[in-house]
Amino acid sequence: MQFSLVSVYGRSGHRKTTILLLMSVVFFMLFTIAANGQRRFSKSYPAGQSVRLELVNRSGTVTVEGWDRPEINITASLEAPAAVVQPQSLSGKIVINLVRDNAGRGDVGNVNFRIRVPYYTAVDIETLIGNLNITNIRSAMVRAHVSAEGDITLTNITAAGVSAENVTGDIFFDGTLQQGGYYRFTSMKGNINIRIPFTSSFKLVATAPSTRSINLGAFSGGTMKPLGDGRRIVGQFGDGSASMQVTNQRGAIQFIQR
Amino acid sequence: MDDDLEPSLADAVREHLAFCESCAKVCEDLAAIVDLCKTEPEAIVPPNSKALWCRINNIIESEVKPEPLPLPQESRRQIWRFSLPQLAAAVMCIALISSLLTVVALRNYSTPTDTDLVSRSADNQTLVERLMAKVGLVDTPQKARERRIAEQEAAIEYWTRRVQERRATWDARMRDAFDKNLNVINESVNDYTLILQQNPEDEITGEMLDSALDEKMDMLRKFAEL
Repeated sequence: MQFSLVSVYGRSGHRKTTILLLMSVVFFMLFTIAANGQRRFSKSYPAGQSVRLELVNRSGTVTVEGWDRPEINITASLEAPAAVVQPQSLSGKIVINLVRDNAGRGDVGNVNFRIRVPYYTAVDIETLIGNLNITNIRSAMVRAHVSAEGDITLTNITAAGVSAENVTGDIFFDGTLQQGGYYRFTSMKGNINIRIPFTSSFKLVATAPSTRSINLGAFSGGTMKPLGDGRRIVGQFGDGSASMQVTNQRGAIQFIQR
Repeated sequence: MDDDLEPSLADAVREHLAFCESCAKVCEDLAAIVDLCKTEPEAIVPPNSKALWCRINNIIESEVKPEPLPLPQESRRQIWRFSLPQLAAAVMCIALISSLLTVVALRNYSTPTDTDLVSRSADNQTLVERLMAKVGLVDTPQKARERRIAEQEAAIEYWTRRVQERRATWDARMRDAFDKNLNVINESVNDYTLILQQNPEDEITGEMLDSALDEKMDMLRKFAEL
């Protein structure tokens, strides 16, 4: 086919065809971007020995991944109408606050973040609507807070302080507990699943007042005892060096052995 | 006498002394004193000059100093005068009584550790707390809870007004999510309120209501910032 075109139109005809094809590709690319209204944001910062990430999003999915590099890499895809994203780097602390930076702008599209941080970073992220995912973090603190609805997934986490809280949505924690650590998981409506090693030792206050569905699985031994007609389970597993508080107002709580 | 005067002036003085008897007398006295000072200087020093100066100094100071205050009456001072053993015994008594009180208070207060006064029922109140509640020094758990709920509801009312002012500027997706999640919280609040009306001493429900109201307050505050 190409041969016949070349033979019909000659060299100049072939060039015109190529230009037309390229133009159509560019046109379709521009059209696609305009139709989706998406913009991309990307920025990197060098990281020191002590790093902290603070992110407040309005809506969208946030994924934070720990990596073995002394660098913080932020990428975000911004749906139309695009939000203002202005990260600030303040002596080892990266602060991104989309609520503050877009205050008074009622109509702002989703912003989906993918942030890669050194694995030893203290992570504190919150959003009004959207899922929060944090993975591969080994630091002093991990906090994930959804003010309204969204799932929270924390995987491969080793931190002395972990807090996950939402109104509607599931919470999943997969990690290890540290001695003297404090772990708090709170949801109004959703399922809370906690996957920890059998060698964990902790004091537990687990409350599910509506469903009374608290499944401790392999961790039901020790001194665990039900209170308030099964609405709450209180007790200690192992030597109880860590403290864990799990509250699910209208959902179930389940422990899984890692 | 000292030959300090000019010759003409000295002549005039001499002429005056020649016919003025009183001035001549003064001149003679002065000449005698000057002569004595020159010939026998120790004769004019007082026998104990230091003692004399002390007396003079005392007189000056007595004129400068204010009058001393009247001394307290002897009988009043005697009331507060204790011997050393008496003081030691008093200190030991005070230390013993305060230690006993501290131990009693600590034992009563430290037993319940993992529950808040707001959400505690009458069952796990300590003796001291019950006594204080009867006297009216502290709230009963029910009253404390009611007070706390009233505070939370006041804050919720404030943030609800703020949300109402801002809500018109939100997009439809944000409004839907807000309404949906607020309903979830309100359902829980209503359920817990009903349970507490039937059983005001339900500790877990009291805690859950407190937690749900906190959650509502937090959500309203976050959305009011948009």
